Amino acid sequence: MNVSTVNQSDCPDVTVPFPIFFAIGVVSLAENLLVVVAVIRNRNLHSPMYCFICSLAAFNTIASLTKTCENLMIVLAENGHLQKKGSSETKLDDVIDSLLCMSFVGSIFSFMAIAVDRYITIFHALQYHNIMTMQRAGVILAVIWTTCGVWAVLMVQFFASKFIMICFVAFFFISLAFICFLYAYMFMLARSHAREIAALPGSMRGALTLTILFGVFVVCWAPFFLHLTIIMVCPLNPYCECYRSLFQLHVVLMMSHALIDPAIYAFRSNELRHTFRKMLLCSEWRQCS
Amino acid sequence: MSAFHNRSQTSARRSDYVWQYEYYDDEEPVSFEGLKAHRYSIVIGFWVGLAVFVIFMFFVLTLLTKTGAPHQENPDSAEKRHRPGSCLVDIDGPQDENDKAFSRPLLSESRSYFHFYINEEDRGQRKLKPEEKTAVKQQESFNRPREENKAERENDLFSHFNIPNFVNLEQSSNLGEEDLLYEPSVILERQAHSQDTHCDIH
Repeated sequence: MNVSTVNQSDCPDVTVPFPIFFAIGVVSLAENLLVVVAVIRNRNLHSPMYCFICSLAAFNTIASLTKTCENLMIVLAENGHLQKKGSSETKLDDVIDSLLCMSFVGSIFSFMAIAVDRYITIFHALQYHNIMTMQRAGVILAVIWTTCGVWAVLMVQFFASKFIMICFVAFFFISLAFICFLYAYMFMLARSHAREIAALPGSMRGALTLTILFGVFVVCWAPFFLHLTIIMVCPLNPYCECYRSLFQLHVVLMMSHALIDPAIYAFRSNELRHTFRKMLLCSEWRQCS
Repeated sequence: MSAFHNRSQTSARRSDYVWQYEYYDDEEPVSFEGLKAHRYSIVIGFWVGLAVFVIFMFFVLTLLTKTGAPHQENPDSAEKRHRPGSCLVDIDGPQDENDKAFSRPLLSESRSYFHFYINEEDRGQRKLKPEEKTAVKQQESFNRPREENKAERENDLFSHFNIPNFVNLEQSSNLGEEDLLYEPSVILERQAHSQDTHCDIH
């Protein structure tokens, strides 16, 4: 990512040092890869819920990997080892952008799938195993991955078209609203059940958990999407220009979301933590039982 | 993301712009003359708005839980909800198919399931108890008055209310007495050994 060359701007681009990008990228890559491997290796975790968590971690892995590669490319380009305008570099840049786009859209889809799965688990518990079989989960994941792949290619090819960008931003806001609604609905139903119990002092924790879940999602994603909206709506406005100068910070936020996600979704599971301990502390899988 | 961003810039400014790797390659710099408000006002406004939204959401959720009417626990409803005899557990191994797990009579009320689920995180965070202590406690808790149990349990339960991973039915060895009283019949994941213990106690 390069510094702005605008002479008269009072809002110079805020740059984030490369080591920070690399650190976030590498740590989130390690975490998410760990989750993916753990879910694949442990047969106890072969259930729809963990499949969706694994898919989320896989998308985050792709995002971290491609972001790290892109940073590497930028560093090399700035040091003169790569041609900035070469055809192979532009193609590689296209591929990287497609993969990034795919992983962003995919992680949003995975959040939605996780929310729907939780909803069915609670409120249709009796039919859960009929509704959410492993085959259906597999189909859902296949659809998600295919849609994201196609969407990503289209996005990058036709990004000049405002329509595509509007679709992208609209998709984000719709998914946000959907996830918010689902979780709020689940929470409301739980609250109405709690009416039969004495009001409890510990109820703060549920609210805190939901706030964290949702708050992190919004805080990490909204700045970037506002950035896209601003590009469409007011490209020449000086206030908007000042907002756009913070682009690198917003990208850092998005990358941090891939870092925080495992802590919110995956690491809360005892089984998954147990699997991690086994994987990391035991040299041979079979020897540890 | 550079091409991603650059193309949007070019489409906004010029249609015949040469593709370059740099950002913000402006030939028409934005004029900063005569700004009425602070230049970062959009940034500040956005973050303040976001913070207000998150805090508002938190307070709304907290208030929602606190203003639940404190009705006394009805013994009849407690009876109805908790049938200690029904230790309906899937005691098959981890390779069991999902659809086998549900071939048993279950309560039709989702709230019991919900209580069970939101207790899962609670279980995961308790300290390890020895097996025999757990067994003894389970026996004792069975004999305790139902209401007292319930209120206590619900207290613990809601203090550890945790929506993420409430379906987290891990077979930890530190399952407490709540499991018996709660209707351990709802198990979506495989829980072989720990549930075995509870069934034996019945």
